[in-house]
Amino acid sequence: MTTHENTAAHADHGEHAHPNYIKVWGILVVLLVVSVCGPMLGIQAVTIITAFGIAVVKAYLVAKNFMHLNIERRFVVYLLLTMLAFMLLLFGGVAPDVMRHSGRNWENIAAKAEIERALAKASGVAEKKPAEPATPQASSAADNYKSVCAMCHGEKGEGNGVAALSMTPKPANFADPAFWQTRDKAHVEKVIREGGPAVGKSPLMAPFGARFNAQEISALADYLMTFKK
Amino acid sequence: MQKPIATTRSMAGLPTGRLAVWWVIASEIVIFGGLLVSYIMHRLGHPEWGGYASHTNTWAGAFNTLVLLSSSLSAVLAHQAAERGDGKKAALLLRLTCLGGATFLGVKALEWSHEIRQGFVLSTNGFWSFYYTAAGLHALHVIAGMIIMLIVSRDASKGRELQRVELIGIYWHFVDIVWIFLFPLLYIAK
Amino acid sequence: MAEPATAHAQHPHNGAGHDHAHHDEGFFKKYLWSTDHKMIAFQYLFTGMLMAIIGGYFAYAFRMQLAYPGASVPGYGTVSPADYLMLVTNHGTIMIFWVAMPVLIAAFGNYLIPLMIGCDDMVFPRLNRLSYQIFLLSAIILIASFFVPNGGFSGAWTAYPPLSSQAAYHLTPWGASLWVLAVALEFVAFLMGGINFVTTVMNSRAPGMTPLRIPMVIWMIVIASILFMASVGPLVAGAVLLLFDQVLGTHVYDPNHGGDPLLWQHLFWFFGHPEVYVVLLPAMGVVAEVITVFARKKLFAYKTVLYTAIATGIISFFVWAHHQFVAGIDPRMANIFTVTTLIISIPIAEMVFVYLATLIGGSIRFTTPMLWALGFLGAFLVGGVTGIFLGSSGSDIYFHDTYFVVAHFHFTFFPIAFIGSFAAITYWFPKMFGRMMNETLGKIHFWGTIIPVNGIFLPLFIAGLAGDHRRIYSYMNFPDSAKPFLQDLRIMATVSLCVLIAFQFVFLYNFIVSLLRGPKADKNPWNANTLEWTAESPPPHGNFAEMPSVHRGPYEYGAPGRDQDFWPQNAAN
Repeated sequence: MTTHENTAAHADHGEHAHPNYIKVWGILVVLLVVSVCGPMLGIQAVTIITAFGIAVVKAYLVAKNFMHLNIERRFVVYLLLTMLAFMLLLFGGVAPDVMRHSGRNWENIAAKAEIERALAKASGVAEKKPAEPATPQASSAADNYKSVCAMCHGEKGEGNGVAALSMTPKPANFADPAFWQTRDKAHVEKVIREGGPAVGKSPLMAPFGARFNAQEISALADYLMTFKK
Repeated sequence: MQKPIATTRSMAGLPTGRLAVWWVIASEIVIFGGLLVSYIMHRLGHPEWGGYASHTNTWAGAFNTLVLLSSSLSAVLAHQAAERGDGKKAALLLRLTCLGGATFLGVKALEWSHEIRQGFVLSTNGFWSFYYTAAGLHALHVIAGMIIMLIVSRDASKGRELQRVELIGIYWHFVDIVWIFLFPLLYIAK
Repeated sequence: MAEPATAHAQHPHNGAGHDHAHHDEGFFKKYLWSTDHKMIAFQYLFTGMLMAIIGGYFAYAFRMQLAYPGASVPGYGTVSPADYLMLVTNHGTIMIFWVAMPVLIAAFGNYLIPLMIGCDDMVFPRLNRLSYQIFLLSAIILIASFFVPNGGFSGAWTAYPPLSSQAAYHLTPWGASLWVLAVALEFVAFLMGGINFVTTVMNSRAPGMTPLRIPMVIWMIVIASILFMASVGPLVAGAVLLLFDQVLGTHVYDPNHGGDPLLWQHLFWFFGHPEVYVVLLPAMGVVAEVITVFARKKLFAYKTVLYTAIATGIISFFVWAHHQFVAGIDPRMANIFTVTTLIISIPIAEMVFVYLATLIGGSIRFTTPMLWALGFLGAFLVGGVTGIFLGSSGSDIYFHDTYFVVAHFHFTFFPIAFIGSFAAITYWFPKMFGRMMNETLGKIHFWGTIIPVNGIFLPLFIAGLAGDHRRIYSYMNFPDSAKPFLQDLRIMATVSLCVLIAFQFVFLYNFIVSLLRGPKADKNPWNANTLEWTAESPPPHGNFAEMPSVHRGPYEYGAPGRDQDFWPQNAAN
């Protein structure tokens, strides 16, 4: 009885009837030729059938004959089919939002614009919109200041933005001439890029090196100097 | 290391190794499935991707399909040989399968370098992102399969652990099936 | 499926493996490079506990900032806005992926599966070791991400693009990429572990251990592992694409270049919702073991619990978009997902009712593990019931992204990750370490945890109802939120958190002192039925002196006509 488990393990592992593998391979190659030639007819329906219908048939033949799923325990087949069913479910749940570009009460403007742009480009028509859609990089120093800095440093650079209320120490006041006595442009750029701690100041000033490129940081620093009274 | 008793039991009615391979494949189905479902959705929603896809090389894809189908044949013949206890023949056939995998990767490398020279890189647009990600993930599976196959064939040539020939074969057929679907998705549909 | 009962005592492997454990294994081989499932379980357990300390420390820092904005936090320093975002992001990530998963599934799965199904180890011991090593690597990468330039990832634990995909928005280029890498590696580790768990339970059960005699906690861990395997794949692929978006400049999630940010949300929650049940089910299983033992009663309806668990697992794949009701998904889809979400509460409620029915008429012993199990049921009920409001798309439009959501999911995850784990640790401690824990300290720890938890999260429900938005650095900047009564609620939550953390030191003290100097535990201190209690405490390498065979179900307590009120699964009569 000691070897009972071992024998059980190998019970259905022994010799079983092998199909003619070379014949199966031959069928697969013929199917491959058909699926490559199908699109040459130029009919879309035929392409879809020869490409994807045949792919399913080929997968079936490989799974059945090479992976031996036809003689495997049934639950294995059900397991694999369940996983495929979950993928169908994923498609069913996601496609209404991602595949379609409009629905009840909504429209994916960005996706539609991209399609239009790309199709126009492909057909050789001059692009209607030369500029890329607005990205943060494209905006001016004043816009950058408003969207990122003004929250703490204030619209006029006086260090009294809405978020400054709860901060200790308070954000820098660019209007104060004393502030500029000890700082040059390179210093300000360093703080914007690397944050307050880089110059021994408060960590409340976050590093924005990942947000702005060198040019933008330089423009921002110039802009800050305009606040000086 | 000794095998624990646990490894030798088979309450579910099939050997532990094979059971685990089926679970590996089940989890691989959802990995590739998630990626391909995402791709199909974008593909159907973006008519312009058909134009992008026309730059892929159907003949390279078809040749690679043929290579993988043939390597699957040698993998299953290796399994047949292993069941008859002929470890040497099984090892030889497994190495032949590896050669098929290497050919596949070689063709892939030529194809990709050509495409990259033409300016189609991962970040060109959505289609090429999915193209390189899906084919690249598949290629990683080919490489992993080849490494395992070389280890298995080394043991098999000495007549040890012959059941593993079947297990790596099942995995290889799965990789083959993934390619069977990638081929029409990435190359034929234009 | 069942094999005839056979004696395995004379199996040649057994004796050899047994002796092997006791001589000249170096420290490295024994504790760090072991393939023994029990040692790997301890590795997971201690790594998880260490990560829990980090996650708790993060929670302390940002809750202090919320209660006392701008003040320097003792033990942390000033919490800057960037720090705050990093702290909340990584608190969430750590607590779910590096605490709940490793402790509940990996540690207890590894420890209990071979012992409870009656075999000597996992079927793939080396794969098991590799799985832990990859997990450890992922934890190290995550911790390393806190120290790179610009600090750890601060794009929230759900990592929605474009916030997460472009450094211009999240400001933490290194942290974000390391975060994605760490999470992806962690998934790989648990995929390996899950395959090992499922294969072991399917193939290596002791003779006589038919499917309906498997202890519930094992069933739950198996179902959870399968759920994980079936749901995580798309997110693994999605994470690779996100990494490409961050590092290689692709535009998969950028609508201006033909991508779609909603795709990530779908992939994330297609995994993310089953993930809730991945961690919930093992905790439910632990509770089933504990309440049957300490109520001295048979589980009221074994099959019902099993089938409801399977049903929960299946339905959990149909509910994911309830996280995205306001993300711009099609309203018709929202209707469908509302219905499925409300349906999933049925099997879970059924399971809770079964547990309550098990308690009725039992001779209940209020030991520490039992208190934790009962605390789990109570706390989880609050979390479950508040979920109804969030699962209904109409009310979720108001509640979405408020503190109501935060309070809701903490009332589910805290019971799961902590109360469930404490129940498991206090229950199996005698088996794991061969010593008893101190009951008095255990009870102090229980009450010192369960009361502050409610003190933290009940006020947050009210704050959420009043409209407090999540992920706000300082409410003082918003006049409507800066009202004193709302700030009082935040201070109450923070003070409760500090009390909670203080009481965890009681647990740590109890754990360490009991580990070293607790009274010796005998084989079966709780008079339980399941197989692990027939092994030595702690079990040696190879687990059982004689491989057991099984004659009955796991919950035969108080069977009439017997001297003892328990009936071990392996006892011949």
